[in-house]
Amino acid sequence: MQDKAAELLKNGTVNLLIGFSEDLGKRPVPCFIETAEEANILVFNQECKNNLSVYLHKKEVKDAVKIGLVSNIATLRSVMQLLSENQLWSLTITYLTVNTAGELVVLSSAEELEAYVQANFPTCRAEDKEMLDKLNAMTRAERWAYWKDQLSECVKCYACRAVCPMCYCTVCTTECNQPQWIKTSAETSGNFEYHTMRAMHLGGRCINCGECGRICPAGIPVHLLTAQMNLEIEQEFGGKTGWSLKSEYAMNSFKPGDKENFIK
Amino acid sequence: MAEPFEPKIVAFVCNWCTYAGADLAGTSRTKYETNVRIIRFPCTGRIDFMLLIKAFQNGADGIIVSGCHPNDCHYTSGNFHARRRWIVFKSMLDFMGFPTERITFSWVSAAEGKKWAELVNETTDSVRALGPFTEYKNLDFTTFNQMDHEAIAR
Repeated sequence: MQDKAAELLKNGTVNLLIGFSEDLGKRPVPCFIETAEEANILVFNQECKNNLSVYLHKKEVKDAVKIGLVSNIATLRSVMQLLSENQLWSLTITYLTVNTAGELVVLSSAEELEAYVQANFPTCRAEDKEMLDKLNAMTRAERWAYWKDQLSECVKCYACRAVCPMCYCTVCTTECNQPQWIKTSAETSGNFEYHTMRAMHLGGRCINCGECGRICPAGIPVHLLTAQMNLEIEQEFGGKTGWSLKSEYAMNSFKPGDKENFIK
Repeated sequence: MAEPFEPKIVAFVCNWCTYAGADLAGTSRTKYETNVRIIRFPCTGRIDFMLLIKAFQNGADGIIVSGCHPNDCHYTSGNFHARRRWIVFKSMLDFMGFPTERITFSWVSAAEGKKWAELVNETTDSVRALGPFTEYKNLDFTTFNQMDHEAIAR
C-alpha cells in the first residue's frame, strides 16, 4: 500500500492522500499525506476502524480535488451513500483498500466502487445484532429504563455527529435556537430529544459503520438506534443504504401501498 | 380534595381535512370532550416529529395526529410522506421504550365531523385511563434526585 500510495502521489493522480499512520505504537490514527516521501508512514490493519470519509466534507480536503482515500469496507459504503445523495461528485477520488484475501485493491471510479461494494457488502455486525435482539426482547418499560440509564450519561459533546459522514448539514437542528429544538444543557430529556432527532435524520441514510457508538466518550451505544432504524426501514420499504449510486432515500419517497396497522 | 385528572391532549391536524372536519363537528353542534387543543398545520407532511416530542416535553399527556385520507391530500402526496415518517417514528419511539399508545394517528376527512368527535372522545378516555404522562418529566427529576442523594452521601 505504501508503494502504491507513493506512486499515485508521484504521478499526480492524487494530490492528497487520507490514510492511517501508527501513533507511537498504540493505535493507528488518521493522517494526511501530500508528498510521495511521506508515504512510508502509512499502515493498514484490523485496527484501522475510523471512517475516513468524514474528512471528505472538509473544505481543506475538497480544495485538493484529487483525493486518495485509504478505506475499509464501511468507508467505501458511506462514500456510495454520499454519492447517491449527490455529494462529493466534484472530487476525483481514488480508493485504496484491502480485500478479504489480503490483497491491495485500487478503485479509481464510482462504477468500480459500486461493483466492489456490492460484491463485498457488509452485513450487520454480530455483536450489534445480538444487542438489538436483546433489546427487542425486553419489555417496553425495561427498554425505557435501559435508554434512560444510557442517555443520562450523555454530555452532548456531539462527537457522534462530528464522526458521522452522513451528518454534513452546514447548520444542524442542534444549533437552531429560534425555536430551541434541542435543549443545550445535558439533561436526560434533552438527550432523549437529541438522540431521537439524530436517529430520525439518519434513518434510511445510515450505513451502519458503528463509528458513533465506538467514538462515544460516555460509551453509549448510540449506533444501535440507527442500526435498528435501518433494519426497520429495510424491512418496511426495502432497499439498502449505500448499495447503489442511484439508491433512493426511503424517507424522501413513498409508495401508495405502504403498509401500517396503527392509523385509525 | 384533589381534582380528578383531566388529560391535556394536543391535536396536530391538517388544514384541509381534519381541521375542516373539526369545524364541521362544531357547526353541527356535536359535543365532544374539551381536553383537546387543536393546532392547525398546512399539511400532515409539515408535522415534524420534533413537534410531537416538544408537546410531550411541555406537558401534553396525549397527542392526536390527523390529516387527509390517503389519495385525498391537497398537495397530492404530503400524507404519504407523513405516513412513512410515522411508521418509522413510531417504531423508533417503541425501540426507545416510549409509551406510543399516547399518540393516536388517524385519517379524518372534512366530511367526518362525527368521526372527529368520536376520535377525540376515545383518545381522551384512553389517555385518562393511562393517567398523567410523568415518565418524560421523570427523566430529569430522577437524575437530579440521584445527584442530591450522592451529594448528601458525600
